[in-house]
Amino acid sequence: MHIPDGILPAQVCAAGYGVTGLATWYSLRQINRKPDPTAEIPKASLLTAAFFVASSIYIPIPPTSVHLILNGLLGVVLGYFAFPAILIGLFFQALVIGHGGLTTLGVNAAMMGIPALLGYHIFQLRLSLGKGLPERVATALFAFLGGSLGLGIAALIFLTLVITTIPADFDAGAERSAIMTLSLGHIPLMVLEGVFTAMLVLFLQRAKPELLEG
Amino acid sequence: MAFASLDAYVHGSSIIHRWRPALKLVSLLLLMFAFATVHQLVLLPAMVGVTALLYGFSGLPLSFLRHRLSYPGLFILAVVVLLPLTAGDTVLWQWGWITLRKEGIEAMVLVVCRFVSILTIGFILLGTTPFLTIIQTMRSLGLPVILADMTLLAYRYLYEIADTLSTMQQAMRLRGFGSSKQRWFRFNLRIVQQLATLTGSLLIRSYEQSERVYKAMRLRGYGYGAHPAVMGSPQQSRDAQGWGLTGIVVAVAAGFVITEIGLSVL
Repeated sequence: MHIPDGILPAQVCAAGYGVTGLATWYSLRQINRKPDPTAEIPKASLLTAAFFVASSIYIPIPPTSVHLILNGLLGVVLGYFAFPAILIGLFFQALVIGHGGLTTLGVNAAMMGIPALLGYHIFQLRLSLGKGLPERVATALFAFLGGSLGLGIAALIFLTLVITTIPADFDAGAERSAIMTLSLGHIPLMVLEGVFTAMLVLFLQRAKPELLEG
Repeated sequence: MAFASLDAYVHGSSIIHRWRPALKLVSLLLLMFAFATVHQLVLLPAMVGVTALLYGFSGLPLSFLRHRLSYPGLFILAVVVLLPLTAGDTVLWQWGWITLRKEGIEAMVLVVCRFVSILTIGFILLGTTPFLTIIQTMRSLGLPVILADMTLLAYRYLYEIADTLSTMQQAMRLRGFGSSKQRWFRFNLRIVQQLATLTGSLLIRSYEQSERVYKAMRLRGYGYGAHPAVMGSPQQSRDAQGWGLTGIVVAVAAGFVITEIGLSVL
């Protein structure tokens, strides 16, 4: 779910870089407020590399297979480091496999990174809204929401951008119905991403709870 | 991983290889953005021509471009293949329910030409400049320290973590993962659980490795002082050829934008 070079007009690419610049500035400001920001850089860097590598894992659903975006999970695990991590991961993907592109790097980073930050905040809600629930249930529920909404919002932005900016004469009604239909088609993937995120977060909570301190 | 193939030709001696990295980065990025502004079909031959000329100057072999374009090419094909059949009102040819439309074909040609040109310029940049030089150049152009450090560290450990995952997946297969037959379109929750555990184990191993890396970096002084300023070498400031090339490429980029605006106003 990356927008490649050549599809979007330059104005949208520039706006994408603008939004990404703002989101990066906001994330770095939050990171610099931590008592020792440099202490977390190696952790965030190696987890960025691990997420990049893990994005090659496919879930088999015969006769095909789907690969996960993991942006919600990135938000849950990395907190404010998620946005820089996604920016770097997308930069690597553009270099390594030509997935995405350099002109669309800003748009792609905003499309996946902002939902990741949202995923982080949703997961943090378990500490307030999930207080009445058993700990494992609250963790699984908010991890599911963070993972599935991370993908859902990214997919909605992706479809809206691609369908409304492709240089052809679609009529507005057809565009709306295409976005709606394709978005509904992503619901099973949202559920899968949410279930995967919840299972992984429960595993981390059992095996390495400090990874979820964000 | 494919970084190796990307760095395979960075030590050439063409004019593009010798171009000062900061000037090359800024000029080629400007050109890529100028190409992204193109909507007029009449500009497409010039755009492809400029791209071919720069690729020729770079001395990179065609096999490099073919190899790099193959995967993203399939992706863009999947995006634009339906355009001639669905977009536009002017019917050029019809056979039963299959209709070729003029506006859709024009949109497809525009997107494919822009895609190939922008991507090729990107590959010229990345194929003639070592990855570490690109990061160092971006740092000298104002990339925040945290982003530069994260990029370099992630790049340093990417191969190791990829090897770790490969070993873990092999161990899973040897224990029988993936050998049982699955029914079509059947969502197997047990497999999702196993893959979630695999991903979680990879994250934990990377996290534990990061703790050791941080201790080693700390012992070498990381985080105690200011980052050294990134400076260019003295001979780079006398790079007349590089400045000349920069002037030409920036002028060409500006020419595309101005012509595009002019033609769209007419």
